[in-house]
Amino acid sequence: MASTSDVAFLLLIFFIVTTIFAAEQGLIMVLPAKQRDSEPVKVKMSNVTTLKVHQDDSVTLDGKPIEINHIKTAIENRLSGNDKLIVVLEIHPDADYGRMIACLDELRLAKATRVSLKTTEK
Amino acid sequence: MAFGRKTRTEVFIPTSSMGDIAFLLLIFFMVTTIFREETGLPIELPRAEAGEEAKRELISNIYINKQGLISINDRITKVEYVSDIIGKKLQDNPMLIVAFKTDTHTPYGVVSDVMEELKDVNAVRVFFNNDIESHPGRKW
Repeated sequence: MASTSDVAFLLLIFFIVTTIFAAEQGLIMVLPAKQRDSEPVKVKMSNVTTLKVHQDDSVTLDGKPIEINHIKTAIENRLSGNDKLIVVLEIHPDADYGRMIACLDELRLAKATRVSLKTTEK
Repeated sequence: MAFGRKTRTEVFIPTSSMGDIAFLLLIFFMVTTIFREETGLPIELPRAEAGEEAKRELISNIYINKQGLISINDRITKVEYVSDIIGKKLQDNPMLIVAFKTDTHTPYGVVSDVMEELKDVNAVRVFFNNDIESHPGRKW
């Protein structure tokens, strides 16, 4: 019986070491702060590519329809040609949020760091 | 005459049961502890392959369900009040990350409106919660 506490402590230490608290999983993004007085940043149109999610949840890249699974490769190709590329993700207010996350996910996978969110005016 | 007869009594505290007491206390607190948890709203998170982890201490949740209801601190809130609530939280914790726990079928407009409110109070670090993609190639 003398070893019961030893066993208990071993179990305790085992569980302390192996416990992992469930972490939150998601996509981090930094929004642009509201600019007062300062002028908006100007960028060359040649550095901008627009990924648009329409009202009917269809997706277009610079006006051409594209499947969500193909976004990654398309953006990677553009990035290899121009590392200053800015991707504008324009989403219609009536489109599904899940659609927007799917697009953002593809952009993350393509390692596009300069992403700007835009909401289509109604 | 037996004045000042010295009696020596040993002072003795039994320590052999100390371990038992400690364990009983441990078990008692383990059983009675309830972790305070936010219930939020029932939602189905969108799936994504990429994903980062964020520290729980820094996170403040905003739940938005399919119907566009917004819940912060387990209270249903109107969009106009989001900036006030988050602004107060931001004062307590300048490193605050606002986590969107939004249903995958929510119209994006609601999320966009909430983000505009966040920009008003300079809560610029946002986090879009998602489930890890379990079927590669299938999005949602």
